[in-house]
Amino acid sequence: MAEPVPGISAIPDESNARYFHVVVAGPEGSPFEGGVFKLELFLPEEYPMSAPKVRFMTKIYHPNIDKLGRICLDILKDKWSPALQIRTVLLSIQALLSAPNPDDPLANDVAEQWKINEGEAIKTAREWTRLYAMSG
Amino acid sequence: MSRNVCDEGDDERDYGEEEDEEDDECFDYDYYNATDYDSELYECERNKDSEHFEYECLQIEQVERLLNESVESICSSIGINPSLAKVLLYTHKWDIDRIKEKHKRDSFQLLTDARIKSPRNSRTVDTANRASSYYIQCNICLQSSSAEKCASLSCGHQFCKECWCSHLEVQVTQGITIGIECMAQGCHILVPEDFALNILTKTSFREKYQQFAFAAYVKSHPELRYCPGTNCSVIIRAKENKSKRVICKHCKTSFCFKCGGDYHAPTNCETIKFWLTKCADDSETANYISAHTKDCPKCHICIEKNGGCNHMQCYSCKHDFCWMCLGDWKTHGSEYYECSRYKENPNIASESVHAQAREALKKYLFYYERWENHARSLRLEAQTLEQIKTRIHEKVMANKGTWIDWQYLLDAAALLAKCRYTLQYTYPYAYYMESGPRKQLFEYQQAQLEAEIENLSWKIEHAETTDRGDLENQMDIAEKRRATLLKDFLSS
Repeated sequence: MAEPVPGISAIPDESNARYFHVVVAGPEGSPFEGGVFKLELFLPEEYPMSAPKVRFMTKIYHPNIDKLGRICLDILKDKWSPALQIRTVLLSIQALLSAPNPDDPLANDVAEQWKINEGEAIKTAREWTRLYAMSG
Repeated sequence: MSRNVCDEGDDERDYGEEEDEEDDECFDYDYYNATDYDSELYECERNKDSEHFEYECLQIEQVERLLNESVESICSSIGINPSLAKVLLYTHKWDIDRIKEKHKRDSFQLLTDARIKSPRNSRTVDTANRASSYYIQCNICLQSSSAEKCASLSCGHQFCKECWCSHLEVQVTQGITIGIECMAQGCHILVPEDFALNILTKTSFREKYQQFAFAAYVKSHPELRYCPGTNCSVIIRAKENKSKRVICKHCKTSFCFKCGGDYHAPTNCETIKFWLTKCADDSETANYISAHTKDCPKCHICIEKNGGCNHMQCYSCKHDFCWMCLGDWKTHGSEYYECSRYKENPNIASESVHAQAREALKKYLFYYERWENHARSLRLEAQTLEQIKTRIHEKVMANKGTWIDWQYLLDAAALLAKCRYTLQYTYPYAYYMESGPRKQLFEYQQAQLEAEIENLSWKIEHAETTDRGDLENQMDIAEKRRATLLKDFLSS
């Protein structure tokens, strides 16, 4: 195993080695700071020729993540390269939490709020982090 | 048409002058000259036919030969292998001259733009990797294998052949061939055909690759288009990429060369796409509102239209009326035919938003009803054709004329279908047209065409009572009206 990444862990499921239980800590300085976000990661049969499927299990207020936890991230779609690894994918997701991109939205209402009133949006994101990502 | 008349006038004037001079030789000379002029005029008329379009129907082998000619031309003039030539041609839409010109200006730029060569200096990566050891670690499966078991594109990113193979297989399964990129992150160098075929070991994938790549070449070629007919493998080739009618020689499918949809003159590709999407969205409402039956305006008996003609005669009260406007047919026959013209409500600006929405719906329904009505008539045309055949059979059996005597009826039916088809496609055109003198002119011509088509339809259905000369005259008029409308409004 390569050196662990601070704030990220991925543990394979006992019954299925393709399925990973992922935990990502909210990055410092972001409205998600202090939160612990659970994700699921699944390696399809074609992996690494096809991108892994990743989804947030913890509710999160973010313009590029929708109600179902689906993530809008280019490397998970058309920009996937077989040279990418689980490690690099999770690092990109952590980076997305630090730098939301409301110009390429998945959750339209959130992105709109982010553009119209960023202060209010960040406040909501903090509130959601406290409500859903700090319980356990 | 007006030009034609004018030219004839000139001719006559010339004749007059010649006669005044009373010079026999000169008259002879001009006489022949005049015939030459006529044939020239005829030739000119042919070219002016706004629906005329040059094209050919090719088989796959012919297209392969055609594409190979382009490939060879690029190979010999630029000095690269056929696979890279294909990448160049594909990325430049088969424009050989543009490739040669770019090559002359900056050959390195040409190859980097086409994603054949990496813009960064690739040599260093290449030599560094090769110099390091005989064994190379594949960045994907993280296993070390000998250099001959690895492969890289011009960018120098080495991966083991097994990883390359599964990458290519996954891409080919998704139908991607020419667009497959290097596996390294952020590297966009394209995988050329020879590399792919070298790596793909399974025959099934090699065949799939070649099939999909060929289809991609055809789709990227502006002069080629697959026939949209079911299970038809014919490829149409036309020098000009225009929205003109093409009829496949093999399966007889008729379609527009530019968009591949049903032929739609005088409407253009974009407009017909808007219209068809709109109809697909709104058709349920429209169907609900415009029912399939109408009441006779005189005796109010319910009538279902089961033939192509809009000139209706009520079965019970014998009242002649127009199916479109339900007005008396007497006002349609010779005079101004008005039921193809939509009358816009002049007070619209002053009315509420709600009324405007209603007006918009009314306008749409007006055009949709006519569009659908002609489409339905066309569908019934097949039935009419069967009826005509039975009628001809009966006539011949009853010793009323010979087979050949009645064949003109079939020609008439074919012409009627052709005219009605064009008329159907004039309605989307009119719907999207802005009000003004041009629209007025269009609607006038449309009304004229519609009137003549209805006349023709009526005469065909009652062919026993009308004489042949009259019918043929009517055919000529209808076709002239159709050609005039297309000539004036079909934008080339």
